[in-house]
Amino acid sequence: MNKDLANFSSRLRETISQRPSTLGDPQFAELARELFVLQFQGNPVYRRLCEVRQQTPATVQQWTQIPCVPTSAFKELELTSIPPAERTAVFLSSGTTGQKNSRHFHGPESLALYEASLWHWFQPHFRVQQEFLFLTPGRAAAPGSSLVHMFETVAQAGPGAERHAFCGRVADDGVWTVDFEQAVQRLASAVAGARPLILLGTAFSFVHLLDFLAANGRRFQLPPGSQVMETGGYKNRSRVLPKAELHALITTRLGVERADIICEYGMSELSSQAYDATVAPPSASASPRVFRFPPWARVQIISPETGRETAEGEPGLIRVFDLANVFSVAALQTEDLGVRRGDGFELVGRATQAEPRGCSLMSA
Amino acid sequence: MEIIQSMDLPNYFLADLPPEATLSPAMIEAACDTLRHNREKYLVPRRTQDLVQILCEVAAEWRRPDNLYRRLALASATGFSAPVVARGLDDFFSHFTPENFAALLRQDLGDRVITGDGPKAPHPATLVHHHFCHGPGLLAHVAAGNIPNPALMSLTLGLLTRSAQFMKCASGASLLPRLFAHSLYEADHKLGTCLELAEWPGGHAELEGALFAAADCVTATGSDETLAAIRARVPAATRLLGYGQRVSFGLITREVLQTETIAELVAGVADDVIAWDQNGCLSPHAIYVEERGAVESDQFAALLAAELMQRETVAPRGAISVAAAAEIATRRALYETLAAHRGDVKLWQSQGSTAWTVVFEHEVRFHFSPLNRFVFVKPVRDLAAVFQGVDELKGRVSTVAVAALPGRRPELAAQLARWGVTRICAPGRMQDPPLTWRHDGRPALGDLVTWTDYEWEPPREAESHENL
Repeated sequence: MNKDLANFSSRLRETISQRPSTLGDPQFAELARELFVLQFQGNPVYRRLCEVRQQTPATVQQWTQIPCVPTSAFKELELTSIPPAERTAVFLSSGTTGQKNSRHFHGPESLALYEASLWHWFQPHFRVQQEFLFLTPGRAAAPGSSLVHMFETVAQAGPGAERHAFCGRVADDGVWTVDFEQAVQRLASAVAGARPLILLGTAFSFVHLLDFLAANGRRFQLPPGSQVMETGGYKNRSRVLPKAELHALITTRLGVERADIICEYGMSELSSQAYDATVAPPSASASPRVFRFPPWARVQIISPETGRETAEGEPGLIRVFDLANVFSVAALQTEDLGVRRGDGFELVGRATQAEPRGCSLMSA
Repeated sequence: MEIIQSMDLPNYFLADLPPEATLSPAMIEAACDTLRHNREKYLVPRRTQDLVQILCEVAAEWRRPDNLYRRLALASATGFSAPVVARGLDDFFSHFTPENFAALLRQDLGDRVITGDGPKAPHPATLVHHHFCHGPGLLAHVAAGNIPNPALMSLTLGLLTRSAQFMKCASGASLLPRLFAHSLYEADHKLGTCLELAEWPGGHAELEGALFAAADCVTATGSDETLAAIRARVPAATRLLGYGQRVSFGLITREVLQTETIAELVAGVADDVIAWDQNGCLSPHAIYVEERGAVESDQFAALLAAELMQRETVAPRGAISVAAAAEIATRRALYETLAAHRGDVKLWQSQGSTAWTVVFEHEVRFHFSPLNRFVFVKPVRDLAAVFQGVDELKGRVSTVAVAALPGRRPELAAQLARWGVTRICAPGRMQDPPLTWRHDGRPALGDLVTWTDYEWEPPREAESHENL
């Protein structure tokens, strides 16, 4: 284990857990620079890329100049400073069939940091004292999922871990499904007992559940205080619904208002997540909701044409600098398009892997 | 300098209406009725040779630098730079000669039969034939929006079959078809009244329902999903000619990789990448280069990159959407990372823009390029390795540009044809097919017409045809 990185990690963990508000711009900049130097030294794959780009600790002045790695590189290279013998977990991207998966390696310290990071930003967004119902499988069935690891972590961290349930299943072909019977029973019991419920899952798992409820003519009015956490991505696993339509259906079928539906933006290559609302939104309907990362992660919106940061309101590729990615690479270039809105960002789409185009996809 | 704007064009077509004008199914139906009426009156009696002559004259006009329509095309926001549009139009219209049209008619309709619309058709060719051949009364086109030439060609073929035509243009892509239609209108007003163009977002059920119900034949270019959606809405008795997703690539054999001739070869490949900014089905995603030429495959890639950089100064790539730029940036980032770690991957790219990109990689498997001047160069042992790389594309490859010595060409062509490639051409000509090009391997003109067989003994030469 790289001692310097481990030391950085445990210090950051402490800051995240005890005084995240001290992570202002100067502190973030300082930590980012420090981490860059450590990753340059401790991660040979990353170092090589920095050298080729001639962006090294000797030339980089500000955190915004720190060279970033495309998320797709996690599919091709081992972007980690954890030696093979010390790797205790690997999170894989849930790519569509036939695609290579991203691999984000973890050891005990990096997992502890991941858990601290996710919990301390989850907490301000959800009523964590309530009962959780996860539409995903549990860890035993989906050990490679960073999302499931996150759900297991919040299930354990919150009070009343014994009341939580995972009602997702993994089919023989590896596809995630929802155990509708269990889900419906949990929903009914929450309504009957007037116990607010936090329902968490992927967009496609919600579509599966909502389609099932529609097909069976079922509707629930979950008690006030209930919340929904929905995280993007369909991966060809269900029909694709525009976000507004999905949320309207959640309101219709589950009785959870838009203000209590919170979207998560995260990925297996990161250790922090962004959410698009908090438990007490001041005016949820008025302004477009924006995602915000915790103070230990920052976003830049980069013009794909020029490679420079875009102006507020202009779309570009989302770049994340996640201090909690200590043992992989903190500076990540995603394939998602976003627009900066104040101190947050709006998600506008994805730079999809090139599909056959030619005369074809352009007919519109 | 005089300011010319496309909105100054007279309102001949629905596509000329201001953007705020809303189309209704009733408007489409009324337009189709008018088209059919005008066709009977003005188009059916026309001789093929007259139509060919008008097309050739219009094409010659388009190639004149001071031509109004050409100037409008070059000055407007087509998504392409003016030099790219100029080159694309010049290439396209240079094929419009009486000889080329004669070759097309002969190829698709046969030597002895040229379209006639009935026994009384005053056409010399009908004196010897014993079939009748008709175009659709009303031909509807659903045009793709990526590049303009296919839409212009569709209108040209429809004129040859003496069909009234309604072209539904893709959103934001009606300008060039409109300009072409206006130029035909100007050349021959009556002909122009047999054309209609409109623009609406694809998949508009009511408008397309009205159009498909009125049409005798529908041509459509688009994705497999678009075509499937159209197929479901076209009445069963109406013919649908669907042109789906196709891809193209290049193949350079080792014998032509010679230092003396490499510049010319690279220029040709660059022409293919630059033509319509690589946006057509006939544009190359990848160039497969045989190893062990006098010029090695990675040197070829470097030369191609240098050529693309130079061309950017004279024929710049058009502005592209953020999403399209993001696709390029995303792919570049990956290959840049790979290039830093593996000697067998190299990347050349424009600085500060996404204008051009060359990726050299040993992976033979075909990858779709994000296009807009992003091309893969892949070294291969031989043609067998290419077939291995493109295996998943079987049935979806349109054009392969082959650079080979004359001695090797026939065998390579035979192998490519057996594999299912529908067009083989020289580098530099990928986006410039001849009029006789069989679109996706099908006779583009021949597929439009319907025959009436007449099963009596053919009349002897001496007999008068008037009684047929």
